[in-house]
Amino acid sequence: MRLVEMELAKELKENQVVLLLVEGLEYNDLSLKVARELFGKKVCYVTLNKTCPSILETFSKAKIKSDNVKFVDAISKTITGKAKDTDSCLYLSSPGALTELSIAISEFIKKGYDYIIFDSLTNLLIYQGKGPVAKFVANLITKIKASKTRAVFYALKVDQHQELIQEASMFVDKVVDTSK
Amino acid sequence: MPKTIMVVDDEPDIRATVKTVLEKNGFKVITAVNGDDCLDKLKKEKPDLILLDIMMPGTPVKEIVPKIKGKIAYLTVVRVTEAEKEQLLKNKNIVDFIQKPFDINDLVKRVKKLTA
Repeated sequence: MRLVEMELAKELKENQVVLLLVEGLEYNDLSLKVARELFGKKVCYVTLNKTCPSILETFSKAKIKSDNVKFVDAISKTITGKAKDTDSCLYLSSPGALTELSIAISEFIKKGYDYIIFDSLTNLLIYQGKGPVAKFVANLITKIKASKTRAVFYALKVDQHQELIQEASMFVDKVVDTSK
Repeated sequence: MPKTIMVVDDEPDIRATVKTVLEKNGFKVITAVNGDDCLDKLKKEKPDLILLDIMMPGTPVKEIVPKIKGKIAYLTVVRVTEAEKEQLLKNKNIVDFIQKPFDINDLVKRVKKLTA
């Protein structure tokens, strides 16, 4: 196991809420590493940049079992206009529907899921301003911290999103910059 | 007469880069910052192809597309399956699905083919 994987496993184990700062080229690789680490547990995976069928295909190709994972897909309906909920996937109306997103995630926290994976914070900024996104993140992390659920937030490490990353950094237990 | 391409993307870098490269390749390029701006500009312009980012602020793309009569190639950072891609391409306006990040030479080739 490479050092970065060992550190990642350690950070996920020791901290309840982790923010993973990822560079674009490493992003796919890292999301597979996190999935390998966590998918044996009860996980809610929130996706804002890959459709549910696409993400299932990616994990299946990488031979990662996702039987314990419930996906919350906030992007498909925006693109195709239609998507019906399945056993493994809950479809939301839009990545910008922060209230809907918050309600959906809260349900998984209430149900005692082990992990929430949020992929990714930076995608939210396409649809909403920094203010509402920062408020959404702060509220969500407060709910997570009041529970036993753990969470991993992805954020792309790009200059234009520094302000949100800094804001989110104040609420999480650990910021892991995977490029370092 | 040069072919006209409309680049609709909320990211200024993408609009600027694609505009510069397509203009160097002999196209006339119009840009729009989102779907609503695109519809507004289409009242005056009749582009041969619209390069439309699938994820933008404002009115969702799924509501913009039915209001457009011309050819559209989606630009997208969103990962979809081949089956989903085929489903999207069944819409008569949608002629291509270009995954970001794209190779700029490949984009030019595709734009040339789609406007030939």
